[in-house]
Amino acid sequence: MNDKKQDSIDFGYQQVAREQKKGLVANVFNSVAAKYDVMNDVMSFGIHRLWKRYTIDCSGVRSGMKVLDIAGGTGDLTAQFSRRVGPTGEVVLADINDAMLKVGRDKLRDKGYVGNIRYVQADAEQLPFDDNTFDIITIAFGLRNVTDKDAALRSMFRVLKPGGRLLVLEFSKPVAPGLNQMYDFYSFNVLPKMGQLIANDADSYQYLAESIRMHPDQDTLKGMMQQAGYDNVDYQNLTGGIVALHRGYKF
Amino acid sequence: MKSLSLIPWMLLEKLINELLARDPGSLQRRQKLVGKSLRFDIKELPFELTVSIDEYGLRLTTVSEGETDCWLQTELGVLPELSDSSNLTRLIKAGKLDIEGDPMLAQQLVALIKELDIDWEAELEAKIGAVPAHWLSQIWRKSRQQVADSLQQSQRWATGVLIDEKKILPARIEFEQHKQQLQQLRAKIERLERQLREDS
Repeated sequence: MNDKKQDSIDFGYQQVAREQKKGLVANVFNSVAAKYDVMNDVMSFGIHRLWKRYTIDCSGVRSGMKVLDIAGGTGDLTAQFSRRVGPTGEVVLADINDAMLKVGRDKLRDKGYVGNIRYVQADAEQLPFDDNTFDIITIAFGLRNVTDKDAALRSMFRVLKPGGRLLVLEFSKPVAPGLNQMYDFYSFNVLPKMGQLIANDADSYQYLAESIRMHPDQDTLKGMMQQAGYDNVDYQNLTGGIVALHRGYKF
Repeated sequence: MKSLSLIPWMLLEKLINELLARDPGSLQRRQKLVGKSLRFDIKELPFELTVSIDEYGLRLTTVSEGETDCWLQTELGVLPELSDSSNLTRLIKAGKLDIEGDPMLAQQLVALIKELDIDWEAELEAKIGAVPAHWLSQIWRKSRQQVADSLQQSQRWATGVLIDEKKILPARIEFEQHKQQLQQLRAKIERLERQLREDS
């Protein structure tokens, strides 16, 4: 968690040099970009749509707002935000990975989401936006892959407007009794095989399962958000804690 | 299960938006509501339901976040009555409705749904062709007529049995007569009471 204090960092269960992680994560997403949406649906049995929808509902988004969707990937959240902020608002879809951004941009344009969406290739640790720019920032299933999570949280805090809120949707630690064993079996035995079958890439999905286990649990992430300056930080477990939605405000 | 409870609302939202998209006239009726949000506290539901309207349709959410333009507390069965603004005062007085904010918004929203005018035959035509669509529509109309007829018939039969054969219910004329007699009796009692008061 104290990413900055060490020279090596986790990449799944492996320890790699800090400067290597970005490249390794990029390889994973370059490899899965084309099949990303299909895999999401298959792996989560479609439940990821409900998690994302709940995030939108908790965002308090209104017409005219400026929203930043970090690690927005193939644009699921951006599409829904785009409808809700209307022509007077704006949604910025940011992703560090060019391949994912392209898939997202093509998908959204094909579906007619145009006019109020901007696409920016950006690193969450050093966001290329002015201070106090956005009413809402979301990062869904992205923070896990960021090398320096504390720096990313601080960078998001900087570009958030006073009164704005950050929503972090991320895999977390299951809390429902009995779920842990089932979830472990599924993650390490079923998931990589599905990855092999559908995306022809077992390693990326092995990384996915490992990176989920290495990600800070609910309370640790809450503490990290408070450390980065957010107020009124809270979280809600979804689907027994497999996923948690953290929320923090900048006052 | 927060996420699973979203499913019915997501499906309902999808259905309403599909229906709205099929009625070109709804676009104009919706314009007045764009950018507005309403929150319903419905007796039968365990949570509040917020409806926001944008250019593309309606958004439903059970997460009560932030201010809305109108807040209503009511019952499910009362909702259709809201489309007529003359009902609002009566409903509030009867304790069936509590409203904060702009009541016109609620009236416009209910009217938007109630006044949906969809040309189902044209919709079907686009999907399955003109002849089968016409044929299906005819069957539909005929079967609806038949259902209505048989309903009316069974209602007539039930009335006959209850009033004439089993004598369980009085006929309307008997009821009216009884009501009149009761009124006369009430007037008589009042007169007697008055008389008694004056005498004492």
